[in-house]
Amino acid sequence: MKPAPFDYYAPDTLSDVVALLQRLENDDIDAKVLAGGQSLLPMLSLRVARPEALVDLRKLADLNYIREEGDTLAIGAMTTKSAVEDSPLVQRRQPLLHAATRLVGHRQIRNRGSFGGSFTQADPASEYPAAAIALDMELKVVGPDGERRVAAQDFFITYMTTDLDTTEVLTEIRVPALPAGTGWSFQEIARRHGDFAMAGVAVTLRVENGVCRAPRIVAFGVGATALRLPEAEQVVDGKALDSALFQEAGHAGAAALEEPSSDVHASADYRRQLVAVLVARGLAEAVARSAA
Amino acid sequence: MTTDMNNSLYELPTESPRFVGQQVRRIEDPALVSGSVEFIDNVTLPGMLHAAILRCPHPHARIVSIDTTAARQLPGVVAVLTGEDVKRWCNPVVTAPEGWGAYCLAVDKARFVGEPVMAIAATDRYIAEDACELVEVEYEVLPAVPDAPAAIAADSPLLFENQNSNVMLQRVYDWGEVEPLFERADHIVRETFRWNRVGANPMETFGCISQWNLADNSLTCRGSYQTPSFMVLGRSASLNLPSNKVRIIAHPHGGSFGGKGGPRGTDISALLSRKAGGRPVKYIEDRAEYLLAGGGQSWDRYYEAALAVMADGTVTGLKVKLLDDQGAGAEGYGTISVAKPLAAFTGPYRIQAAQYDLTVVATNRAPTFAYRGYGPPPHNLVLETLMDSAARELGIDSAEIRRRNYIQPEQFPYTIPSGNEYDSGNYPEVLARALQMADYEALRAQQQTARDEGRYLGIGVVSTVEPGVFDWNAYRTAGVQGVGVPEGARVNFDMLGQVTVTVGFALEGQGQYTVAAQVVADYFGLEMDAVRVVCASSDAAPPHFGPGGSRVGVALTGAVLGACHKIAEKFRRVGAVLLQCEPDDLELAGGAVRMRERPEAQLGLADLAGTMLARSDLLPPDMDPHPGATHVWTPPGRTEPDEQGRCKSYLTAANATHVVLVEVDPDTGVTEILKYVIVDDCGTRLNPANVEGQVQGGVAQGVGAALLEQYVYTEDGQPLVSTFADYLMPTLHEVPITQKGAVVTPSPFTPLGAKGCGEGSIHITPAAVICAINDALQPLGVKVRETPASPSRIWNLIREAGT
Ligand SMILES: Cc1cc2nc3c(=O)[nH]c(=O)nc-3n(C[C@H](O)[C@H](O)[C@H](O)COP(=O)(O)OP(=O)(O)OC[C@H]3O[C@@H](n4cnc5c(N)ncnc54)[C@H](O)[C@@H]3O)c2cc1C
Repeated sequence: MKPAPFDYYAPDTLSDVVALLQRLENDDIDAKVLAGGQSLLPMLSLRVARPEALVDLRKLADLNYIREEGDTLAIGAMTTKSAVEDSPLVQRRQPLLHAATRLVGHRQIRNRGSFGGSFTQADPASEYPAAAIALDMELKVVGPDGERRVAAQDFFITYMTTDLDTTEVLTEIRVPALPAGTGWSFQEIARRHGDFAMAGVAVTLRVENGVCRAPRIVAFGVGATALRLPEAEQVVDGKALDSALFQEAGHAGAAALEEPSSDVHASADYRRQLVAVLVARGLAEAVARSAA
Repeated sequence: MTTDMNNSLYELPTESPRFVGQQVRRIEDPALVSGSVEFIDNVTLPGMLHAAILRCPHPHARIVSIDTTAARQLPGVVAVLTGEDVKRWCNPVVTAPEGWGAYCLAVDKARFVGEPVMAIAATDRYIAEDACELVEVEYEVLPAVPDAPAAIAADSPLLFENQNSNVMLQRVYDWGEVEPLFERADHIVRETFRWNRVGANPMETFGCISQWNLADNSLTCRGSYQTPSFMVLGRSASLNLPSNKVRIIAHPHGGSFGGKGGPRGTDISALLSRKAGGRPVKYIEDRAEYLLAGGGQSWDRYYEAALAVMADGTVTGLKVKLLDDQGAGAEGYGTISVAKPLAAFTGPYRIQAAQYDLTVVATNRAPTFAYRGYGPPPHNLVLETLMDSAARELGIDSAEIRRRNYIQPEQFPYTIPSGNEYDSGNYPEVLARALQMADYEALRAQQQTARDEGRYLGIGVVSTVEPGVFDWNAYRTAGVQGVGVPEGARVNFDMLGQVTVTVGFALEGQGQYTVAAQVVADYFGLEMDAVRVVCASSDAAPPHFGPGGSRVGVALTGAVLGACHKIAEKFRRVGAVLLQCEPDDLELAGGAVRMRERPEAQLGLADLAGTMLARSDLLPPDMDPHPGATHVWTPPGRTEPDEQGRCKSYLTAANATHVVLVEVDPDTGVTEILKYVIVDDCGTRLNPANVEGQVQGGVAQGVGAALLEQYVYTEDGQPLVSTFADYLMPTLHEVPITQKGAVVTPSPFTPLGAKGCGEGSIHITPAAVICAINDALQPLGVKVRETPASPSRIWNLIREAGT
């Protein structure tokens, strides 16, 4: 369990990183960016990933921040997950993100793992992509051609694949404020505390005069990426709220899943069941949390 | 006949020990918490090379050719070892039963995924692994035997062609007249079970550094060895070396639990050293290797069982049919785990007769090894689930049916149908205490209320007997010969009165060195820190076996007391010379030898030891001037097995009752443990903190087996588990911190009355949790009959029942 040989670089600035990535690409050298290493290093050790070069972001101190920009929270990609977890700003302004963070691995992993690394890793069972889609986050990416912004919905392409080019670096994640009174829920079922979820859901909605508005239901752990469940959203959208409806929404969402993954921990059928249950529970919790 | 023992030899010369029986701090811990323990991976020897092993990707394959040309050319590669070398120099490993072992590298064919095929020693592990990737092996894939039912199918492929069958062992034991009991029974309850593979997963995997001395053709291996002397015998046989030319230096290990076998890793690194001109070769098994094909897989079983029950709840007969999958041969002594249940086959119950129908087979899964408990956990799951089924059928409470069937306190020593003798116990008292601590009636009321609300709470009440202090005779069934297992200790005073105790086994976490120091300190009236405990290499240590079979606490106490007794005799003889009296006039008390009649006439132990070592001119020439002694303890009264395998095997019978409350979520199949109470009786508690640690640790492993852990294989025999993302060890969050209570019924047969207590809670925790789950599921009409009771498995049961 030792990595295959690779060259190691730790540039001082973001522009050096991008220039280096560009040069390596031109030289046809397969390079990978290294952040907290919590996903990448195990893959190197198992020789599942064997890049020829690693470009470490650890010296880019200016990618480590959590700040308010108007209604939006801007979080630097190299901020640790622990820092996000502990941030009073995140706790107050984005409780769903806080809840999701606490479900990412164990504290030790959050101490090392970067916030951005989970977006770029794009594990389908990861909490952050689901939170990103539920909260409409925007990702800031810097490459040889400068900076661009991508909506979370467009960033996650498929299993462990994002919209990011090999010469690009994710630099910031922007979390817009939720409309006042929004209720939310973040639910998952994992085999153990700290494990990747067998299935999970993120829910946001508003309740106006006893009627559900703008529901957003995102499932994770059940497909190639985190995905919205419009079929479930439609069941509750504009409807008066009751628990039978939540269950109906759960079943509609579960039925619409194309082909939930299947592994040693959970069959596809079982994952479908979990989605049905978690959507119903998530809706109930979000409604209870909404200010109406 | 009961067991005799010379108790006076094994008593403390004090009525009020200061340390034995107290929760003293463990002398092992400062080094552990400060990180200064010399684990094997921390050791570097001059000129040391690093080994990597290339492993077979197929469950069953003939090796057509191996091309190592490119690997040899990689800079840094020093030695390359293949099956050809091994065939020339080695023997297949010795097994029980005989003839089911392989060479350390696959010779001609490989029998499991992960079997070592060739190995490389290089200047570092990275290069060694790079080199392995350059080796080209051509395989001819053979049809595989993926599981035990396939192994006994008529047209099954053979793993060991010379055996003409995949069946290693098949026999039916009849202990008493079991058939008439079933004919006369008012009820017969039957169950089938599938216990999936689980196993030991210590924090540290196996590791060693082997060095072949080419000048005198001897071998020294340092490593995380649990049973050094046993290792010496094995290496001597497999590597064709005289046994006195193999030296094992056991290093402290980061846990063991039986999975630290390491025979292949030792042989491979030894042969690489031989090929590398005698340079030391380190092999550290990594976690992927360990999970794939290390010593961490055990107990892969299919059960059919039945219990004969009378209308009043009396259980009269037990029949157990077991089909056991050993994997690709018996190299890991996994076969012993089908024999150990004989030592407590009928648990704590007065069951009159029993039958054990045993079939043990080889398959193309990884070979199985010892795992803490060594076999009884699945057996106890079967027995306790049958007890619950009987209770349900008769409408008796699950605690009550157990109470009615217990062996009673006045019946000890009690011989069970399968031949072992239980030393002592008070099972009704243990149960009563557990029910009281758990507030059992309140739990049942809580369960009823929850059911009325549509929630599924379940209560498990289970009891167990833990056979302690193993003896080889228990394993005769599996082909192991021998009666008696020695454990030795050497106790030496130095000139200044400081004491060193030398044993033959290394630290692995249970705290036995502390127990040795407690005994010595109390024996001689010393402070604990005047006693140091060290492990000697196999050639210098007293005869020993080491930890295993819940025995070292008891055996080491016997060895240390025996040695102390011999030293006390010497001190009295020397004291008699110096005080000009007879040895019988003197006694050992308060850290001195003094005259019984005139206690102020006394000599300190340092004075005595100092005289012996520095002023022997004061002593008669024929007087032994060595203030030290060695004693080898072996369990008394053990017997040869009869034709049905019956014998007095394990010396002690500890007992426990577990009470567990769980809630099962029927929508997700998730089980949550809400309450866990344990009362145990392991006789005298030499160090109560050690006992608690053993109990709690066993619960962790038992919860793992019940809910989480499984070595999953595909229908083709491919393992799906290669990391801890797939093999789920319970963490702090999944393991309940149990409420613990104690009843103390000393053993009449052991030094100080202690009983083996290292395995009891893994023996019964899986049963406790599964029984509780089944109690919860009862209204849904389904029952878990396969481990682990994972959420998806429980949900499937509920779904299939259509409720
Ligand atoms: C035991 C364990 C349990 C875990 N459990 C969970 C869990 O429950 N949920 C979960 O979501 N995750 C879990 N993880 C994964 C963990 O959250 C990782 O930290 C995270 O996936 C990656 O972040 P990192 O900073 O460690 O990235 P790295 O491992 O360094 O990199 C991951 C990938 O992202 C790329 N990358 C990283 N940063 C950038 C960047 N700024 N720009 C471009 N590319 C970049 C790398 O090239 C690599 O491909 C677990 C990990 C472990 C070891």
